[in-house]
Amino acid sequence: MSKVVSFEGLWCVFEHRSGQLVNALQDVTFKVEPGEFVCVVGRSGHGKTTLLRVLAGLQPPTAGQIQLGETVVSGPGADRAMVFQQDTVFPWLHVRENIEFGLRAMKVPTEERESITAHWLDAVGLTDFADSWPRELSGGMRKRVALAAAMAVGSDVILMDEPFGSLDYFTRRNLHEVLLDLWRETKKTIFFVTHDIEEALILADRVILLAEGKLVDDIPVQLSRPRDEDVRASTDAVDITKTILAHLGITEEEAIQG
Amino acid sequence: MTSTDVLDVRARAKREQRKRRILNVLYLLFGMLLFFVAWWLLSLEASPFYYDIPPPIDAIQHFLGNLGTSSEMRAKFVHACPDLHPDRATNWLRQVGSSLIGYKYTNEGLLPGDPRPIPLGQLPEGCYGYAIHLVVTIIRILIGATLGTVLGITIGLSSLVFPKVAQVFTPVASFFGTAPIFIAAPFFVIWFGVEVPIMTTMGLVTFYTTLLMYFFSRRAAENISVGIVESALTLGGSPRSIFRWVYLPGTVPEIAGGFRIALAGAWGLGVLVEVLGIQVGGGHLIDIWRFLIGLIEAPSALVALITFFGVLAVVVDGILVVIIRFLTRWSESGRRLGL
Repeated sequence: MSKVVSFEGLWCVFEHRSGQLVNALQDVTFKVEPGEFVCVVGRSGHGKTTLLRVLAGLQPPTAGQIQLGETVVSGPGADRAMVFQQDTVFPWLHVRENIEFGLRAMKVPTEERESITAHWLDAVGLTDFADSWPRELSGGMRKRVALAAAMAVGSDVILMDEPFGSLDYFTRRNLHEVLLDLWRETKKTIFFVTHDIEEALILADRVILLAEGKLVDDIPVQLSRPRDEDVRASTDAVDITKTILAHLGITEEEAIQG
Repeated sequence: MTSTDVLDVRARAKREQRKRRILNVLYLLFGMLLFFVAWWLLSLEASPFYYDIPPPIDAIQHFLGNLGTSSEMRAKFVHACPDLHPDRATNWLRQVGSSLIGYKYTNEGLLPGDPRPIPLGQLPEGCYGYAIHLVVTIIRILIGATLGTVLGITIGLSSLVFPKVAQVFTPVASFFGTAPIFIAAPFFVIWFGVEVPIMTTMGLVTFYTTLLMYFFSRRAAENISVGIVESALTLGGSPRSIFRWVYLPGTVPEIAGGFRIALAGAWGLGVLVEVLGIQVGGGHLIDIWRFLIGLIEAPSALVALITFFGVLAVVVDGILVVIIRFLTRWSESGRRLGL
């Protein structure tokens, strides 16, 4: 059963090599309802990945806490599976074994494990590649393996840290569709970190905007789905884009110039 | 491109692959031929090494002629194989045990069978052949290298989980690792004596492979991406499952490469210790012939024995390459490493 995710007064302070203290997160507080698709947007080095790592339990907060339902997050676990920016598919396991990894770790009986794996292989369109090695797959296919492995462990919350950042435009668009289909089917809560505003507009119900580690805005994205070019060119979408750019301190001209 | 074109491209790729494989074998054969030609040239009368290097055919004939039993050794040496028990056909445990642990200890009742020493004249003919000595050397080195590999990997990987192990072992390994291992060889012979090969030949090989495999396994584990381990953690991986499914398979290419290097060194090291004084083994045969270098057959014997260990190392390495290629078939770098 899906649970509310609450961020309460979250601080994360790192000590730089020079001895200077850096506030990666500053008093971040917000709540996410079950089944929401949340995009965390911000410039590089402004705390997006740190927020996700604290939620994953890979990084302890300096102060504050995150609650998943009634439980305080205190370490990594399969209830918050994560898809990383870099390639984290296990190269020594076949595609099928990669998807089975979490289920094996949780000691799911063989028959059930095989059936779950077959379902997610089919869901990401990799049934024909079940016995392939990851090195035989394209970058986009490997991301699908990582996505299926995260979905297969049955977590309520899926964390995604710029997962499609290294892929070309067409592969990325294809994976957006795959992800949205899975999200609609499973109703899981998804936290998706990106610095690409267009990607956030395609995917999100809500955009959490971080600047210098502070939550500067929480923008609902009430655009109709599917979000094709026409929807993304609508006045509402342009307004959201302008708001995000303004918070990030980027003028429209700068954004156009890239 | 039509489907016929695709099939044609694939067939061409297969043909190319087959051609490459045949070429690899041909290069290998060509290399061996070059080696024998160079050897033959050095053995000609015009060569400055004429008296030291016999023609290849002489060395091969000498080796095959003395393999099962050696009348030359029987006639010339009062001492052949006191560590080898004559009733090996019926008591293999005593045979292997005495050749590994040493006859002195097995004859004092540690192993079953008749413990009485046999007079030299009553030793079976096989004791004077090269085969039994070479087999004993191979067994000692393989057991030593295997033991060292298991120890090195166990200590190396557990030092990542238990930092105290690394704190204790790394300085020791670094200290001995900086000293050339061949310097340690005479000390092993002096400390443990020639009567207990398990502590000398096997001990030194075990010690050497443990050091190497410790460093290789630590480096292999450290090279596993942090992202992969973190991904395993968020998928619900326990320390045990991460060790089994991430660290063990992920470290295979580097560990396997390290084992090839360790074993290549172990052949030289094991034979060297035997040359220094062990009473049975291929190194002991080399030592005996070394003292009789003036005899007409001595160069043939020495070159044949040394070449045997060279060929053995190449053959074992070839078998390892096939095994490593299978174990690392998931990895491009592993496949390259195995080539």
